[in-house]
Amino acid sequence: MRTPELSCSGVRGHARDHVAASGLIANTMTYTPVLQLNGISKSFQSTQALKGVCFDLRPGEVHALVGENGAGKSTLMRILAGIYQDYDGTYILDGQPADLRNPRVALQHGIGMIHQELSVIPELSVAENLFLGNQPKTSWGAVDWFKMRRLASEELSQAGFDGIDVRRPLSDFPLGIQQVVEMLRVVRSGARILIMDEPTSALSPGEVERLIELIRSLKVQNRSIVFISHFLEDVLRVADRITVLRDGRKVATLDRKEATAGKLISLILGREIESALPATAMAPHSDVLVDVDAISADSFQDVSFQIKRGEIIGMYGPVGAGHFDVARAIFGLYRLNSGRITVDEELLPDGFEAPVAIRHGLAYATESRRQSMFLQNPIYQNITLPHLRRITGVLPCRSREIEAAVGVIEQVNVQPPNPMNVVGNLSGGNQQKVAIARWLTFPPRVFIVSEPTRGMDVGAKNEVLGILRNLRNQGVGILVASSEPETVLAIADRVFAFSRGTMTKAQVNDGITKDTLMRLI
Amino acid sequence: MKSIQEKKIVLLRNFNGDTLRKLTTLAPLWTLLILIGFFSTMSDSFLTRPNFNNLLVQVSTNGILAAGMTFVLLTGQIDLSVAALMALAGMISTQLFVDFGMVEPIPTIAGLLIGLLLGFVSGVISARFRIQSFMVTLAVALIAEGLTLWSSGGHTYFEIAPVADFLGSTWVGGRGTGVRLMIFVSSATLLLAHIVLRYTHFGRHIYMTGANPTAARLAGVNTRLVLIAALTICGFTSALAGMLNTGRLGTALTNPENSFLIDAIAVVVLGGTSLMGGRGGIPQTIVGLLIYGTLRNGLDNIPTIDPLAKEFITGMVLLVALVANVIMGGRERHERG
Repeated sequence: MRTPELSCSGVRGHARDHVAASGLIANTMTYTPVLQLNGISKSFQSTQALKGVCFDLRPGEVHALVGENGAGKSTLMRILAGIYQDYDGTYILDGQPADLRNPRVALQHGIGMIHQELSVIPELSVAENLFLGNQPKTSWGAVDWFKMRRLASEELSQAGFDGIDVRRPLSDFPLGIQQVVEMLRVVRSGARILIMDEPTSALSPGEVERLIELIRSLKVQNRSIVFISHFLEDVLRVADRITVLRDGRKVATLDRKEATAGKLISLILGREIESALPATAMAPHSDVLVDVDAISADSFQDVSFQIKRGEIIGMYGPVGAGHFDVARAIFGLYRLNSGRITVDEELLPDGFEAPVAIRHGLAYATESRRQSMFLQNPIYQNITLPHLRRITGVLPCRSREIEAAVGVIEQVNVQPPNPMNVVGNLSGGNQQKVAIARWLTFPPRVFIVSEPTRGMDVGAKNEVLGILRNLRNQGVGILVASSEPETVLAIADRVFAFSRGTMTKAQVNDGITKDTLMRLI
Repeated sequence: MKSIQEKKIVLLRNFNGDTLRKLTTLAPLWTLLILIGFFSTMSDSFLTRPNFNNLLVQVSTNGILAAGMTFVLLTGQIDLSVAALMALAGMISTQLFVDFGMVEPIPTIAGLLIGLLLGFVSGVISARFRIQSFMVTLAVALIAEGLTLWSSGGHTYFEIAPVADFLGSTWVGGRGTGVRLMIFVSSATLLLAHIVLRYTHFGRHIYMTGANPTAARLAGVNTRLVLIAALTICGFTSALAGMLNTGRLGTALTNPENSFLIDAIAVVVLGGTSLMGGRGGIPQTIVGLLIYGTLRNGLDNIPTIDPLAKEFITGMVLLVALVANVIMGGRERHERG
């Protein structure tokens, strides 16, 4: 199974044997896949994103798609959803060659997609979002609000979400609920095949639990799900079969029974690795870099802590615990109601904004790459913007900018290392590296990073954490805000746990287990 | 680790790819060449020196307006007050000279300052209170229009301030044989705007603010200041264009010529600057300006065309040119994952 299959002849028969042998799908009489891709290849300019990939999906099955950033998952997913049409290979739906000209046609064929960045409308109410585009009407042709709200409440409670006021705007609810609303909407619009891109990456553990419940109930309704994720733990819990992609090729398709985390990781990376993330142990210096004194804002209260030179602080909490806003507030992006922040014994003025923070040697990389990057501009312009004046003097000078960019690109290992490439064409992990690299042309005194490894594969994760560790060893103070326990535990010297807007616990990371950490919040 | 030599080769190769891409995105340039070719064969008078001078005079006022408008559109905003500010600046300088007997250069400086000031006011209100520039500049346009009418008492002035007169009617190198001073003023403004946009930090900040305001803020760009500056610059160029126009007409009008507003936006967008901000620039604006000028001037030079049909033809050609820009410029490439 390790060698990539370029020809797909016999796959169907093979799959049939497999299923018959393992008896995985009991509720279908025939084993005809609802959807089948044969020998799919796709290239972008000079890069070949997919090389002869085969993929099939059975009724009532969760088929996970895993692989490193840039392995071709997103491309395959977009072909499935009808976003790309110009590829080689065949797309067979219900035994017929399919011609999906665009995502809307795909949806008419019952293929719905749930993007990582949700396409809900936060200003509208829960009910309106759920019925977007096909609201129930009264006999007069007006929107039947009462019916809509009743149906919305019913549907949510059926999915296991009781007590949600469907009249409130969706933005009032945590990301987990917003995602559920989007899923239900796609299901309502008639999708029997759901493509889910990194559905668990922004969710707290409890929300993941409920999502998995929801997915199981969709399976019972004989709907099929393509589950794309970096979280092998979630994949192993929810998937019936797992397909591994590497460098645009299919490496293997495993049944759940034969898959283990170790096996998947070695298939994903193409080599065996001993442990997922190395631990840290290093005595920090004693001088205080940042003193946060009793800061309060709308989403957090009375938070105090210190960051010392050469230490990494990990703020851990579920989404909505307020730690991301603490990170934003220290960089001047979130308004404080009270409290003081001192950097190197200099008090930051009231209502300071980002430029002031940068002048004091702070740097910030946000959790949303789409928000922080200029996707249509070349890498070097993305990197040089914060320190343009210091890099080039009075007037911008392209060659000096490129020189500065090439240096940090090498430091963080962006692939391919070409400063002229447009950032929007890079894979997610590489975009994140660029987001970090822009602050390294002049190393900051304090680096604040939110979700440094969200949606990244194991290899890129290690690289990014390695970069942060290097900075720490050079004496930079680092503040990481994350809702991924693995990330916090792998990198933090001290862990601050957050829950519902308050800091519940601060603890030195001397081998805290995930279990202990979950109990701190 | 790659050697320096290898790196240079990589950069060089990309530079070539870059220039190639730029050529294909220069679809408006092809439109311009096609128009010039067409009118040259259709009309004997089009490709003559006096007519060329004429064409440039026709576009030079608009060129100054478009220079300022380029700044505003690149930030993703819009300025609807340019025509009204033109009229106000022309009227204020005229009145200070004629009615109050002030000596030049005070009237001219006052005229330019009023444009700058109102542009600044639009910018501050728009940035500070986060009101869309569309609405703020619309209100400022009404204010400027009202001020012009009110202060002039509804009288058109046929005597104007000397500096405006000088700017608008002087010939360099002899009347009829030389080149109008206006053309130089307009070229200088466009050149200066180009240098600022392309070669300064402020210029880069304008582009980045337009491309993604949130990201610009995260990178420490003071996006409010950028917006204020862009609208202030646009206010100033509007006033300067107002001086030139007053000088060219020898008359200070009480009403703004609103076609200037539409024309200014049209030429910037026609050249390929995005209304969403972040892409485009002065070279594109110049091409747009020349397309527009060639079209209007060229139609005047073909006697067989019904003068009443000219507007219609202009509109149709512009529409075709806009579509051609999009098709030839190519769609944005998809992200890869």
